[in-house]
Amino acid sequence: MTMEQEIEVLDQFPVGMRVLAVDDDQTCLRILQTLLQRCQYHVTTTNQAQTALELLRENKNKFDLVISDVDMPDMDGFKLLELVGLEMDLPVIMLSAHSDPKYVMKGVKHGACDYLLKPVRIEELKNIWQHVVRKSKLKKNKSNVSNGSGNCDKANRKRKEQYEEEEEEERGNDNDDPTAQKKPRVLWTHELHNKFLAAVDHLGVERAVPKKILDLMNVDKLTRENVASHLQKFRVALKKVSDDAIQQANRAAIDSHFMQMNSQKGLGGFYHHHRGIPVGSGQFHGGTTMMRHYSSNRNLGRLNSLGAGMFQPVSSSFPRNHNDGGNIIQGLPLEELQINNNINRAFPSFTSQQNSPMVAPSNLLLLEGNPQSSSLPSNPGFSPHFEISKRLEHWSNAALSTNIPQSDVHSKPDTLEWNAFCDSASPLVNPNLDTNPASLCRNTGFGSTNAAQTDFFYPLQMNQQPANNSGPVTEAQLFRSSNPNEGLLMGQQKLQSGLMASDAGSLDDRVNSLMTQEQSQSDFSEGDWDLDGLAHSEHAYEKLHFPFSLSA
Amino acid sequence: MQRQVALIKQSLFDQGYLDEQFMELEELQDDANPNFVEEVSALYFKDSARLINNIDQALERGTFDFNRLDSYMHQFKGSSTSIGASKVKAECTTFREYCRAGNAEGCLRTFQQLKKEHSTLRKKLEHYFQLARQAGPKETARRPK
Repeated sequence: MTMEQEIEVLDQFPVGMRVLAVDDDQTCLRILQTLLQRCQYHVTTTNQAQTALELLRENKNKFDLVISDVDMPDMDGFKLLELVGLEMDLPVIMLSAHSDPKYVMKGVKHGACDYLLKPVRIEELKNIWQHVVRKSKLKKNKSNVSNGSGNCDKANRKRKEQYEEEEEEERGNDNDDPTAQKKPRVLWTHELHNKFLAAVDHLGVERAVPKKILDLMNVDKLTRENVASHLQKFRVALKKVSDDAIQQANRAAIDSHFMQMNSQKGLGGFYHHHRGIPVGSGQFHGGTTMMRHYSSNRNLGRLNSLGAGMFQPVSSSFPRNHNDGGNIIQGLPLEELQINNNINRAFPSFTSQQNSPMVAPSNLLLLEGNPQSSSLPSNPGFSPHFEISKRLEHWSNAALSTNIPQSDVHSKPDTLEWNAFCDSASPLVNPNLDTNPASLCRNTGFGSTNAAQTDFFYPLQMNQQPANNSGPVTEAQLFRSSNPNEGLLMGQQKLQSGLMASDAGSLDDRVNSLMTQEQSQSDFSEGDWDLDGLAHSEHAYEKLHFPFSLSA
Repeated sequence: MQRQVALIKQSLFDQGYLDEQFMELEELQDDANPNFVEEVSALYFKDSARLINNIDQALERGTFDFNRLDSYMHQFKGSSTSIGASKVKAECTTFREYCRAGNAEGCLRTFQQLKKEHSTLRKKLEHYFQLARQAGPKETARRPK
């Protein structure tokens, strides 16, 4: 090949891209070499896999791409593929005369960027440079992530794209130092978290063990430990979500109520994310989304009966995978709501990971996964959502009729608590809410039994839990007592909105699914928030401890 | 002379000895690789001769290790495809089918056929290249489509 040509084009990627071609068949190798040279790549050839490895090991940066035949006498092409991927992390393209999908699958599983069939056409080779670019982009993202600096923001921002920008920004801001604390830790970007969520989803909450998740995620440089700790956080978050959901629901109800009165924005907006729920790593999207929906739901007011009319649309509008939040209500929504609520509550301090008390839950949830993405829909658990929403409706109705289960919260203390809670929790909280802080707060307290509620009502709880809720129970109680209907309403609304909004990323979904699980188990009797059921259903995920059971 | 060369080539295509892949190879031939096609052909025949030997020996042993035979054939087929030797390729496919069916006799028969095709192609190509060299560069006539 013309050296001069090469020298000239060295800087014009993909021209000059350095390819290592491996094939034991001399004829094929020669042809391949010529083809590649024709594409203006810089080609090195060898017919021995072992030699190829040595060349690569000698200097990783000497090559941009490896093309290897599958059937080679000295080493299986797939093995070479694996080793290259592991040791050098270079893109590898497989080449073979075998068109059997099994081989292609094997190639993919071993990490091949592409699989070409012999005889190779030059057109196909002209595009292989895309793999190099793609890979380097991934690497860059990963390394950014692990640096943990402000990538969160970026990642979060991206995630939030679907959601309101406002939220994103806010979240981004909040995410500022997710990784400040740790050393070189893996930063769970949206993408990563999504993968995580997808893996967990696939495995099922109960069977989601770090090793399997890790395998499914198939991310380089991610260790089982990373996944394990992430999973742990996730579970905690979920738990919180459920806890918070109740609170959220309560709040939501209250909010929505107020909102409606005011302008629908009220909490809704509040929750939604505009508040910028810190959602730490942008996971908040989910939360925000939920919140968004929440407000929208509110407006819809399916749960009209509730009075606040805020929930109206909620139930109805939750098509299973209803935009993000829709499903939530069904099952997980609560969680989402919670998350959202929590998140929305504006946990200003909510840092992506840290989870400020308020945000915590959401952060946790979101953080890891990106609730926003819409995992909701995919959540199998969501199916129950519809039912749950319906139930919620029922519940709301029932609530109105004072079917407030459990808590014996008193409004008084609740109020205080709530206020405190609200104050601390979220500046976003609607001032309106304050009017009925008790209710709001209390709702959160709902306890696990009230699945729907729990979801709502624990917005803030996620991590902090203790501080804020003097007990979800109390809050719930307060809520109940003070304004059961409202609380319920709110809760429902929240739930719904949360649900709706939840489109949130996988995290939300996850949480939702968790919630769903719980909820599905729980029995939402009419107007009865069967928190107990919810509580029982928890599986692998944390249990939603809902001290109070709303079931009347 | 050039026309003669062209005609010969054309007949190779027409008779199915060569397929489009051969033309792709010709397209790769340029000033940088003036004898690319011939070089590749030479490589091919060298390689395939070796393979044929191996298969011959395996068959003569009479043990009929179909797996191994199949893998030889896979290789053979791969290079034949790369060069565009379609008849040889077809025989390879047949051979592999017999291997999979465990049909020893079929394998033997097919292999004979394969060797025949292979040597025919070789001769023809050698002749073609010889003429082409004599005729001078640039007579890569295209097969009319």
